[in-house]
Amino acid sequence: MDTTKKKTNPIAIVFLVIIGIFGALQLFSRPLEGKAVTGKIEAPKEVISILENSCFNCHSNQQNLSWYDQIAPVSWAVNKDIKRAREVLNFSEWEKLSPAEHQGKMYAILNMMQSGKMPLHEYTLLHPSAKITEKDIETIKKYTLSLSSVSPSTQKKLETPQTLSVVSTPASAKLPVSPNGVQYTPDFKNWKVISMSTLFDNSIRVIYGNDIAVKAVETENFYPWPDGSIVVKSVWKQQALPDGEIRPGQFVNAQFMVKDSKQYQDTEGWGFAKFSGDELHPTGKTASFAKESCIACHRQLAEKTGYLFDVPMKVNTQKLIQNLQKK
Amino acid sequence: MKNTILILLVSLVSLTACSKENNDKESELVRAVFDPGNLKFISNSLNPKKKTMSALYGNEKALESLSKENQAPGAGTVMKLVTWRYHDNPQYIGGTITGELVSIETVQADHLGKISYDIKNSLAQNNSPDKEERVDYFMSYRPVSRP
Repeated sequence: MDTTKKKTNPIAIVFLVIIGIFGALQLFSRPLEGKAVTGKIEAPKEVISILENSCFNCHSNQQNLSWYDQIAPVSWAVNKDIKRAREVLNFSEWEKLSPAEHQGKMYAILNMMQSGKMPLHEYTLLHPSAKITEKDIETIKKYTLSLSSVSPSTQKKLETPQTLSVVSTPASAKLPVSPNGVQYTPDFKNWKVISMSTLFDNSIRVIYGNDIAVKAVETENFYPWPDGSIVVKSVWKQQALPDGEIRPGQFVNAQFMVKDSKQYQDTEGWGFAKFSGDELHPTGKTASFAKESCIACHRQLAEKTGYLFDVPMKVNTQKLIQNLQKK
Repeated sequence: MKNTILILLVSLVSLTACSKENNDKESELVRAVFDPGNLKFISNSLNPKKKTMSALYGNEKALESLSKENQAPGAGTVMKLVTWRYHDNPQYIGGTITGELVSIETVQADHLGKISYDIKNSLAQNNSPDKEERVDYFMSYRPVSRP
């Protein structure tokens, strides 16, 4: 009897110590900041039900956390994830976004789900009921694609766009600078075009690369992209000709990605910038704006091509190019 | 002597290997970037029926002719229209991106204003397009608008 008592005592002590440590940890656990629902997302019932079940716990102000999510140290990680998730996308503050942004967010959601990046694997391990099915993705896809037809941004009538010289510079000598230090330069108009693309928002895009970036593409040396690479995407609204052909219409923005692995460590070494309208107004209020917006999608969906979406496809042969480029 | 034979043998092997590698290299798939030489990007287009996107490049004279909305390219004009097939972006639902290179067309006007047209096609060239029609098509482009 005595011997067993002696054996259990140390175990009991260890147990008590662990309980004590856990108890002490709770003192350092600050509850998640409660925020009001100012404008919940509006969508068909079946869409809302998927979002509520798989996304709302992090991407909204309506958390329905399990007891183990609220115990330190798990709660620390959970609270940090939620704070970040809300910054990127918050279904409870949907009214803060424009209809065009709603559409953009839905495409981002669809892409994240389709590629299996969201909901996070770590999350579904502890919350298996949040897993999404193929059917869920189909539902989200159907709804997202239905938003495209609503967007009226294709200009049907062909107005003569302002004709400007390809190499012209803005009238003011002062070039706009993004809050993170990326400066606009009109030099990209003289760079090589690496690809062309379109997006659901009825835009047409031309992607330019500086010499370093072009060399990286051609030699497939972009794991990681060399410092000094700059890629610029110039975006226009689509303008339809009577025969259905599409040409670039009004200028929308120029999007820069500048590779500097030291300066932009938080965003995989890329400095993001967007200069919009004829004023080339830079996007972002603080230097860290890209951490909350741009990199979230680039990191999850474009990792294969060094976080760039519009790297030319690997579909042409050297022989063909040589033959076609011959004079 | 032995060494000489060895060197000869090694160089023979490496030379053959090299030429084979070159052959492989030519048919190897690459990420292609079109080199317009001293021409600059002027505008582009998208043809939903053909699923192609084209980029128009030109020299200063080309830019001038298109800006002025001239009917014909002025003397000294060089323009190239590079056409690619496009696909759904493999990394993003809701986006498309250019893929295979389809053709490179060139329109030139010499110093006397005489216009020539040429097309290099990725497929066997069975129907050559009408020159007048293509020149008119080139002249329908306007330089892109931007700050």
